[in-house]
Amino acid sequence: MKRFESFVFNILGSNTKQWLVIGATLAALAGSIMMLPTKLVLAKMLPGKSANTFSIYIHTPTDSSIEETRRVGECVVGLLQKEPEITDVEVYLGQGAPLDYAGMVKGSGFKNSENEAEIVVNLTDKHEREEPSFMMVHRLRPVIKGNCEPLKNGTVIEMVEQPAGPPTLAAVVAEIYGENYDHIYALSQKVAEIFKKTEGLADINIMADDPYKKFELVPNSDKISRSGLSVEQVNKILYLAFEGMVVAPKNSRNYPDQIGLFVRLSDKTRRLANSSRRALETKLASLKLMNKKGMLVPISELVEIVEIDAPPTLMQKDLRRMINVTAEADLVSQVYPLLDAREKIMDELSKEYEITTTDYLFNLRLKDRKSGEVFDLRWDGEMKVTLDTFRDLGAAFIAALILIFLLLVVYYKNFTISGIVLAGSFLSIIGVIVGHWVADVVTEHTFFLTATSLIGFIALMGISSRNSLLLIDFAKALMEEKGFDKQHAIAVASATRAKPIMLTAIAIILGSALLASDPIFGGLGVALISGTVAAVVVSLIFIPVLMYRAKAMDFKKEE
Amino acid sequence: MQESKSYKPRDVAGKLARTFLHNPLTPVLGVFLLIIGYISLEIMPREEDPQISVAGGTIIVPMPGATPREVENIIVNPLERKIKEIKGVEHIYGIAMANVGIVNVMYYIGEDREKANLNLYDKVMQNMDLLPKGAMQPLVKPFDVDIDIPIVTIDFYRKPGSKISETDLFKLVRDVQQRLNRIENVSKTAIKGGSREQYNIQVDLGKLSGYHLSLGQIVQAIKALAVNVPDVKGRTEDGKLVIFGVKNAIESIKDVQNLIVAQYMGSPIYLKNVASVTAGSDIQNYKKVLMTQREGEKFSELHDAVTLELGKLAGSNAVVIADEIKEHLKALEPKLKEMGVGYMLTRDYGKRADDAVNELVSHILITIAIIAVMLIFFLGWKESLIVTFTVPAILAITLFIAYLSGQTINRITLFAFLLSLGLLVDAAIIVIENIHRHLHAHDAVDKDIDEIMVQATDEIGAPTNIATLAIILTMVPMAFVGGMMGQFMKPIPENVPVALVASLVVAYIFTPYLGRRLLKKPHMHHHHHHWNKEKPQPEGGAK
Repeated sequence: MKRFESFVFNILGSNTKQWLVIGATLAALAGSIMMLPTKLVLAKMLPGKSANTFSIYIHTPTDSSIEETRRVGECVVGLLQKEPEITDVEVYLGQGAPLDYAGMVKGSGFKNSENEAEIVVNLTDKHEREEPSFMMVHRLRPVIKGNCEPLKNGTVIEMVEQPAGPPTLAAVVAEIYGENYDHIYALSQKVAEIFKKTEGLADINIMADDPYKKFELVPNSDKISRSGLSVEQVNKILYLAFEGMVVAPKNSRNYPDQIGLFVRLSDKTRRLANSSRRALETKLASLKLMNKKGMLVPISELVEIVEIDAPPTLMQKDLRRMINVTAEADLVSQVYPLLDAREKIMDELSKEYEITTTDYLFNLRLKDRKSGEVFDLRWDGEMKVTLDTFRDLGAAFIAALILIFLLLVVYYKNFTISGIVLAGSFLSIIGVIVGHWVADVVTEHTFFLTATSLIGFIALMGISSRNSLLLIDFAKALMEEKGFDKQHAIAVASATRAKPIMLTAIAIILGSALLASDPIFGGLGVALISGTVAAVVVSLIFIPVLMYRAKAMDFKKEE
Repeated sequence: MQESKSYKPRDVAGKLARTFLHNPLTPVLGVFLLIIGYISLEIMPREEDPQISVAGGTIIVPMPGATPREVENIIVNPLERKIKEIKGVEHIYGIAMANVGIVNVMYYIGEDREKANLNLYDKVMQNMDLLPKGAMQPLVKPFDVDIDIPIVTIDFYRKPGSKISETDLFKLVRDVQQRLNRIENVSKTAIKGGSREQYNIQVDLGKLSGYHLSLGQIVQAIKALAVNVPDVKGRTEDGKLVIFGVKNAIESIKDVQNLIVAQYMGSPIYLKNVASVTAGSDIQNYKKVLMTQREGEKFSELHDAVTLELGKLAGSNAVVIADEIKEHLKALEPKLKEMGVGYMLTRDYGKRADDAVNELVSHILITIAIIAVMLIFFLGWKESLIVTFTVPAILAITLFIAYLSGQTINRITLFAFLLSLGLLVDAAIIVIENIHRHLHAHDAVDKDIDEIMVQATDEIGAPTNIATLAIILTMVPMAFVGGMMGQFMKPIPENVPVALVASLVVAYIFTPYLGRRLLKKPHMHHHHHHWNKEKPQPEGGAK
């Protein structure tokens, strides 16, 4: 104790040593903040969470049949069955799996077509398993995609993990707005190509129908009415023949649902020989309608077959046509791949488009050099949530600073002293950032600076301001009540308050030790631990120096 | 009440300390706090993630035969413009597909869900007249996260060698669904996969033309047969009722097979002559559920399964409901076994919530123990005991208040507790440290122990209050963080300030009270008390 007292006393005695302390502190601050742009410490909203389950979404091209989708699904299941840590796998063909948080925002509940499938994979308990689920997904992703996607050209397989925080559509979502659908689609394909080339992005998917051909039967109304038939009859019979229909129900006493009477052509006579136009024409020639006179008229007589491009589903967001290009971040923070991809877009597409930045952060506006057509590219998904959250937390942080400052001004009725306390609290950021760097070096996976780290930092401000507060109060009391001179009073105060400051700091460090091992709250734990260490050093060495240099700290013994 | 004579407390801390120092109700209050805390912990609903109130909905307008572009122009665009009139809508997503237009509406996070849903429904209903000809009645489906996300899913499947058919399995699952739906607080239940019973009439195109028939005639004949009529009330001459009804003509598949669809050259043509008529399952349904599960070293073959999903009502306890569901399933097991049906729980949020909560609770306990051990080293075991007692008391108050304000126990609430643990022992540590310092001061011998307690508490009152207020102030702005993330971490600004205020009150009331009973003045110049023990000099511990 005595030694620490004389240590502080010594520093206060020499102007050079004081400047040394101030200089070292500022250098540490600058150095730690530089760790962010130099990517020594990486930021992410929330890290991966090891769960006991994950999902796989399969999107085969829009005109795929359920059999083709099933084949892809079976391929995926075959690979999963080799994994020792998997307990069971459920495949939902043509529909979404039972809703979960991820599925809720990814539109799993709306899936209702033959080209969609979802697979739920359940794992052994995470405590008995060595490999966290996010590592498993990372390892399986190339295997599954490499083996099963080629089964049907144009298939996209998405590996979907349980979100650690609020769910989002995807890690990276590029919304491409424009007027003409075909042009938007063309641009979104270019963006998707760039995403595919960007390291760290996986499962790239254009959320739009894949273009495909279809046959349009153009009814010849003249012929139809001359045969004594109607277009409606033609429509109905075609649907009945190939899709089938429940024409009447039968109520049943001992069955919980109605029993339908389903009519369709038999498999043998229904299926076409191949997918050519000729085969369809032959089939339609044998399908006949009966007119009022009892004559049978082949359908092929009544319609003309034309091959056309199928009109795609149109998407809008906030009243503008839009196509989403989504991508997942493969074990990395989505922030950096996104910035990479953005740079590539600005670089590679600059020949065809004139690219300018727009309103919010990283959004882009692309203007076609030839036609002058304007497209907007906006980022959404986890990236936007991250930016919004960091922005809001930043604002919360500044608000907290101001509130504490005002509180201190009310308490001390002095701006300088309040400023000293505030400076002390802010400096705990050194510890927070350095702590994350150390954690990243020590741990196996990347340790991200996350939203919870920021929460920890905000909480730390309060804690470290209390250290300074008690210190100032004590020094003030020594000067006022016992008539100590300034240098002596500050040294004694530092030495005496060192014990409770250390005690509460140790309590916080120990209290947060278990947090640090948690995948999600780890950031907070590390922030609290390392930030507290920094706060203790700052409040015991840097704050006394500031106190000594501040005129506002000149108190005289009250007589 | 015995008053300390000479020292007049200036701060609320000292006043609280003096009031409760000799109050006989103080220990009662302490026990009471612990009990309500424990009760809250037991009865509060447990969840894994906090509930995020997402308001929004989907409007589906079918329009058979329309192309995407038509749907966009005459359904999606006008509908979107109308939705734009509603206040509080953040995003509108329009999807124009062939035959159907879908508009998804997302409100700003935190909008009142009931009101938002009502507004949406109102808006659609008010503008029904703008609907184009040929469009069908719009469907308005509000999101309901609580009941839409099932907490338990169970997959039923036929074991190899099972005697029952796929349609029987579906029937069985329907029956199980009805039983499990009876459980209190189970809300939405649904079945995925499985085959419904259906009579399949598969018409042979070749035979059809052979008999000179059209598909339309066959449909007409079937429709004519499958008619249900209500019973007829006949009356006798003397005014009594005679009730008679026409029996449904379709009793079994035989009745359908032997349906006469036409006459050909004078002889009847039965349906079975032109079509294969079978009692089977819904062959047109492409939605299937397949599963494979681990059986020892290997996996079973990929086989058909039926998934039963069960949701719960908002604010009910996932753990309790899941347990009850499992109990019911156990009771059904012999019946299922007999029929050769296996089942597997493929989702159990009850267990997940319970695991998450228990893990965090054990983390909290370990942390308290670690802090207690640390304090023994620095302050002595009695002081450590006092601080350690304050922690459960503070958590109990916080839990109780959380319970009153309708929160649930989830990952984030407990995380808020863990976060505040490091902070909330501080008040007690500062008080006990000051008491300790005063007791070991040179002038302690001449002072009354009550007076020391009150003075020591009062002295650090003002700076501690301000410091705690500062920490609370840092938490307040966090309540205004917007979006999903803001909702997600809401339990932190909701609970940490409460815990901090509670920590102050508990530190000021119970620390001096317990200190008065456990701590003694150290043995110094005078032999006032023979029972004084030698205290370890704790000063050596720090630095």
